[in-house]
Amino acid sequence: MPVTRARANDPTLLILTSLASGEKHGYALLQDIEQFAGVTLGPGTLYGAITRLEERGMIEPVAGSGRRRPYRLTARGAEELDVALAELRTIADEGRRRLTARAAPGGAAA
Amino acid sequence: MSSSRPSPRRRRFTPGPTALLALYPSAWRRRYGDELAALILDMHADGREAGARVRTDLARGAIRERLRGAGEPSRRVRGGATLVLWAWALFSIAGAIVTKTSEHWQRALPRAATAHVAFSTLTALAIAAAAAVVGAVALTLPSAWRLLREGGWARIRLRTWLAAVLTVLAVAATVGLAAWAHGLSPAARNGHDGLYAAAFVAWATLAALCLLAWTSVATRLAADVRCGRAVLRLHAWLAPGLAVAMSAMTVATLVWWAVVASHAPAALTGGSAGAHASPVVPMLVLAAALMVLATVVAAVGAVRAAGARGAL
Repeated sequence: MPVTRARANDPTLLILTSLASGEKHGYALLQDIEQFAGVTLGPGTLYGAITRLEERGMIEPVAGSGRRRPYRLTARGAEELDVALAELRTIADEGRRRLTARAAPGGAAA
Repeated sequence: MSSSRPSPRRRRFTPGPTALLALYPSAWRRRYGDELAALILDMHADGREAGARVRTDLARGAIRERLRGAGEPSRRVRGGATLVLWAWALFSIAGAIVTKTSEHWQRALPRAATAHVAFSTLTALAIAAAAAVVGAVALTLPSAWRLLREGGWARIRLRTWLAAVLTVLAVAATVGLAAWAHGLSPAARNGHDGLYAAAFVAWATLAALCLLAWTSVATRLAADVRCGRAVLRLHAWLAPGLAVAMSAMTVATLVWWAVVASHAPAALTGGSAGAHASPVVPMLVLAAALMVLATVVAAVGAVRAAGARGAL
């Protein structure tokens, strides 16, 4: 069973997306996710997702300063992110196609 | 010029949110506790209020981690399966009480379809679940045998001796009680002979202790046994199945009890003339309470085992 669901606001997908641009620690992840997705993850939700992702080998910790430990994407995590994004794109493309058909003359909206 | 309003970074820190970290399992705290505390402090330093939303999120996270269990996935599956095994032992004790209480109801209510369906469901599920437990234990036996040969015996020696002694006592008590019951009338066997009733309760307690002692041996072994991935995956599938079966059996028992209690309450206490005809039978109350407790324990174990399945 994939840990990441193809759902735009799934915390694991948001974390993988954030880490795709480079390693980040907890608070940096929180800020980045807010910026690109407009979603504010709670600290418990964030670390629950980090726990699951690390356990499945999709992210890994790197040496950090003090108590802040940055994480980075692994090859497996990148692969999982790629699959999840492809699924999202399929849904997005299908939604776009149906909306276009609906707006066309003779479509459902007509 | 200094501002009259304190900057967010200078606000006094309230320890509430970080204190919530104590709710997390200790193993999880050892790994992530410092990082999560640092995140909360960063949020505070950045002027973010640690309001009810953050606190609720932390509490929910702690509950989730507690349900999930600590350690590597195989350990969590074993831990979850162990909880389900304990739940099954408790459920078996409740089942024995229901079996004893349900000896006479079919004669009193031969046409109560709902009661018959509920009782048949209970019986069928009990057989299927017992077979699943036996199968799961049997699959673990080769690994358990390997562990015993590699020095695992020392870990269960005391528990095994205690279980063996209780078993010998239980067998002796069973033979004695059966011989005694043979010379008693049905009414005397169903509560009219105070001494026999007390002996029966003592025997039932001994039998329950015997079951719990062997469960303790099995779960101690299960904590250290190294099963293959396929066996672990099977356990992780069986655990939720057993939890669902236990909840269904609990519902079936309650339905059966409600129907019999409303139409022939005397059948719950032996059905003999003069028997206490209250629908609230203390032994059934105990059985129902044990069933609910076992179902809750099994549900926690199932969540733990099933949650780790994907990471095996």
